[in-house]
Amino acid sequence: MEKILLSLSDAFAQAPYKVLKYKSFVLTGLIVITSVMVYGIFSRTTFDMTADSFLDEADPAAIALDDFREQFGSDESIFLVYRAKDGNVFSRESLEAAQQLTNDLRNWQSLDRSEYPETMNGITLDWNELNHIRRVQSIANIRYQESVDDSLLSNRLVPTALPSENAELGQIRGKALSLDDYLLAFYSENTEYGAILIQTDFGTKPEDGFVSAVDAADVSLDDSFDSFGDDLTFDLEFDESVEIQEVDFEAVDMLGYTAFHVMSKAIYEKYEEQFEFFPVGTPPLMEFMLEIMNEMQLLGIILVLIFTLLLWILFRSFSAVLWPLATILLSIAWAVGIPAWTGVVLTTMISLTIMLIFAVGIADCIHVMSAYFSFRRQGQEHHIALSHAYEKTGLAILVTTITTMCGVMALSTSDLEMIQVFGWTSALGVLLAFFFTIVLLPILLNIWHPGDPDADASFADKLGKRWHGFARNTQIGIAVVYFSSVFFVLGLGVGGYVSLVTILTYVVVNWQKPILNAVPAITARYPYLIMAIFGAIFVSCLYGMSKIRIDSNMAELSREDSQLQRAYDIVDENMAGSQSMEIVINTNKVDGMMNPRLLQAVDELQTRIEDRYPNEISRTNSLANIVKETYKVMNDDDLAYDRIPDSELMVSQLLYLFNSSNPEDRRALVSDDYSKSHISISAYNAGSYQYQIFFTEMGEEIAQTFAGLETEFPELQVTVTGSMAMMMRMADDLARSQYASLLLALGIISVIMIVTLGSFQGGLLAMIPNLIPAVLSFGLMGLLGLPLDADTLLIAPIIIGIAVDDTIHFMTHYRIALARTGSMSRALISTIQDVGQAVMFTTMVIALSFALLSFSGHMGMAKMGFFGSVAIFFALLCDLFLIPAMIITFKPTFGVKDANTDIDFSKTATAQ
Amino acid sequence: MQNYVLSKGLISLLAALLLLPVSAFSQELSPREIMDKLEDNRRATSNSALSRMQLSTCKFGVRDGKITCAERPRVKSLESVGKGYGLDLKDTKSVAILLEPAAERGIGMLSFNYDDGARDNESWLYLSALGRVKRIASGSSDDETEPGSLFGSEFTTEDQDTGKLDEYQIKLLEETVEASREVWKIEMIPNQERARKSRYSRTVMYIDKERFIELKVEMYDRYDKEIKRLLGSRVELMNGIWIARSTTIMNLVTNRLSNMAFLEMHTGIEVPDEFLTQRTLTDAAFRETELEKLRAQIN
Repeated sequence: MEKILLSLSDAFAQAPYKVLKYKSFVLTGLIVITSVMVYGIFSRTTFDMTADSFLDEADPAAIALDDFREQFGSDESIFLVYRAKDGNVFSRESLEAAQQLTNDLRNWQSLDRSEYPETMNGITLDWNELNHIRRVQSIANIRYQESVDDSLLSNRLVPTALPSENAELGQIRGKALSLDDYLLAFYSENTEYGAILIQTDFGTKPEDGFVSAVDAADVSLDDSFDSFGDDLTFDLEFDESVEIQEVDFEAVDMLGYTAFHVMSKAIYEKYEEQFEFFPVGTPPLMEFMLEIMNEMQLLGIILVLIFTLLLWILFRSFSAVLWPLATILLSIAWAVGIPAWTGVVLTTMISLTIMLIFAVGIADCIHVMSAYFSFRRQGQEHHIALSHAYEKTGLAILVTTITTMCGVMALSTSDLEMIQVFGWTSALGVLLAFFFTIVLLPILLNIWHPGDPDADASFADKLGKRWHGFARNTQIGIAVVYFSSVFFVLGLGVGGYVSLVTILTYVVVNWQKPILNAVPAITARYPYLIMAIFGAIFVSCLYGMSKIRIDSNMAELSREDSQLQRAYDIVDENMAGSQSMEIVINTNKVDGMMNPRLLQAVDELQTRIEDRYPNEISRTNSLANIVKETYKVMNDDDLAYDRIPDSELMVSQLLYLFNSSNPEDRRALVSDDYSKSHISISAYNAGSYQYQIFFTEMGEEIAQTFAGLETEFPELQVTVTGSMAMMMRMADDLARSQYASLLLALGIISVIMIVTLGSFQGGLLAMIPNLIPAVLSFGLMGLLGLPLDADTLLIAPIIIGIAVDDTIHFMTHYRIALARTGSMSRALISTIQDVGQAVMFTTMVIALSFALLSFSGHMGMAKMGFFGSVAIFFALLCDLFLIPAMIITFKPTFGVKDANTDIDFSKTATAQ
Repeated sequence: MQNYVLSKGLISLLAALLLLPVSAFSQELSPREIMDKLEDNRRATSNSALSRMQLSTCKFGVRDGKITCAERPRVKSLESVGKGYGLDLKDTKSVAILLEPAAERGIGMLSFNYDDGARDNESWLYLSALGRVKRIASGSSDDETEPGSLFGSEFTTEDQDTGKLDEYQIKLLEETVEASREVWKIEMIPNQERARKSRYSRTVMYIDKERFIELKVEMYDRYDKEIKRLLGSRVELMNGIWIARSTTIMNLVTNRLSNMAFLEMHTGIEVPDEFLTQRTLTDAAFRETELEKLRAQIN
């Protein structure tokens, strides 16, 4: 093993020479292929931004959701809750405004477009988006059925012409509060809040290219459509083997939902004088997600700026900024270009892949350049320094590439295609970053190779000298002015972040050498104390991890003070709740839903779940409610008839009435052949964890309620679905599988470490500092009571991969140094001093970049940004203190025979 | 009696007009006039008429170039009697009784439709299982009301509507051939007022030049995508009126079709006023006796 490792290091030492020998050929080849890749990105990328891309299409629950949509129509709507500023949605002013707004939304074609802005939130308003509105319901147009003197009336709750007397308005309010079906759905109990339900056709519109099978040439009705029997009979033929054309519905992406919501917002915001609005539903949620994506772009730009500045200051040369950037950009171009050319569908997760390539690429380059600069400063000639740099870092870069690839490939075990694609493209990206570091970076450094000890001082050097030339008081004065203005201009959060960047950079630039020199002495002096401290942290984090709750909550995606979360809170507190789900009942029997016993069971199930979950569920609605209500109304509102009748004949005639008067509502509630129906449940917002428990318990309730109907309906299927509920379930499944794959990745990394370090003991020893950063971020979240959601878990392998990288560099270098020197002390000193600097630099650049994500409006990103950067910084502390302390204590030889295990840094230092 | 004579007179007049060689005046007819004639023809089918209809609804597929039901159709059959009243017989009273399916047998609907827009239409529903008649308050003047379905089929009240031609912009697109017949291809675009109540942004009709009936109608949604298609077939002269005995409407999105077949249609029947009252709904014996008398007129 030792020989293999050494020969690999030698091969890496030769690599720059080989590459430089064919540099024109290599450069030309790379330019040509990159151009092809870039062309592919712009011309052939298939991008899926639909909300459904999150779901596994083969999942039975997802199939149930598709069936549901096909059968009962779109379940995507905006639930526009408003607070009447005068405190009463039934006041004259509020009712007038509600009527006007409802009318504006229904009859938007007749609005004067010049009264509306042309853009909103930077998005150009497109009036055609309003074509998605299928139905608008509000106080202004809802009706209730009433039986008066043998007449069946369908009265408006609020008459079109508002009554002149306030007392009459009071009566309307009183009537409204007595209507259970509308209370909490269209107005709150205290009538301060009202709601407008804007139903859309999202997800139920056929794709643009859809052509009906009947449009094919020479298609005509079969002969039975023209055949009347002699005895005046007429029977259409049928053939159950005839295939019914599958209709593909247009998938809706974030942009589609956002364009629609922004346009609707332009309409309703005109009423802000009377109302304060709180929109919930998929369109506003998707608008939030899109804002997050835009924000990510901004953060991305800031990230590049910070990292440019850091690289420039740390290496004091602009080539140290330019060449890594070029290497990373090429890796990204190829990693996105290859899927584009091979027809792989990308999702928004590609942004995470890019982040990963960025982090890994920068780490690879910094390690090489740090070694190169160090050799140059020792006076080595350019080519020799380059060769030495690769000899020293190549193997470690290879190992980190393999471990990171394993980490992200663990994601490809996921059931979700988008996660699999993410796993593979990320693995490819990491490999490419390695490839370009080996193949491209030497050529670039050859073109412009700063770090020449004889060269003129760089601008950064001059700036540094100037600063040190100032008197102490002047320095303090400048610092005070600088920090005050940073906080004043950027505020506490960003100001704090920029100050941290400044201080850390200052410390690293000025005191990296003294720090690295002091490390061996400290570790040699207090190895047990260091191990005890890290051990205590490790144990408490393990405890924290045991407390962690895996939970994704839609409302908690955003910050507490955000509009989105406020809307969810308001809707949960005052209305029927911001979430909905469906229990789909398929009797697999024509007219099955007309069976009184089945409807009675449905009714019973509704009562049971409403009684059992008063805090989770606000209301339920189903065909049973319609039958009961119609039965009661047809019997002059006699409450004795507020039940499911026992006769099937009666049920079918009541449903006949419902169907004739309201075919749209009927079709939204029960299938055309009355074999399928559903119970709609309005629920308060909860996390996926709670949903999972709820789903399981609901399954039991369903089984109990329908138990007696098995003989009558042997093929009865009752499934829980609904897009929000599905999202929750998938998020929870995803989070759990991520958690599992993360553990798998750690296992694989351990094996690789054992193999690379050539010793079981050494490998396991190396895994401890690897585990600590991973355990730390999860443990801290557990200790702080923060739930781990699906988004956070997606970034976790990236962060851990990066944290692990530095440790691997450290251990690999130490292993080779030990093999070469045969002395533990010398190997340790050389490792701390050589790798220490590179590890410090990569930690600074990557951790500070990730820390920037803490400012994201998306809590999943923010959490991982914060805890991730804490983990990366902690990994640095592990590398500098824990690893040496462990080596000093346990004296692992990593299979190196006759190694000198005496630790005496004073001798070693002088010997060097 | 007066009504009977009047309606007879009208029918013969219509028949005479319809049977005139088309070439004699087709050139001079404006698109609006073509539509007026089509509607007159439609109205004539329900005046002083007794008919038996069957509505079949099913999911459909296409095999070997033929549109075929892919499941056993759900069949409803009904008998209806109608009569014109008022000036030009433009007000109508009608009663419809469901015969099939068994669960809905005896459900009846009595409707009074008034030509005068200011007067609300009236209707009464009888559910046989409940044994009670309920007057259904009509919302016809209310633009919030969605088009109702005809007995739960793909036909909506909008597809069956007559009148209101003033609310459309009517345009002759071309003269062409459909189902081997010469037709006018006419486009109807609802005005803003009408568009609010309509499911369709426009309809394109293929009207038989000789017989003034629709052989095909394409209905387009607000994205200008054809969502429904109606096909008229088995065109016959029944009691002097051209009628498509079998009309099929296909929903191109849900792949469901409904067919309306006139099993029987007899016009020129003298319908006593007492028949068009609530008693016909509730009193089955009375209804059967009266129907027998009406049928006797046919023979």
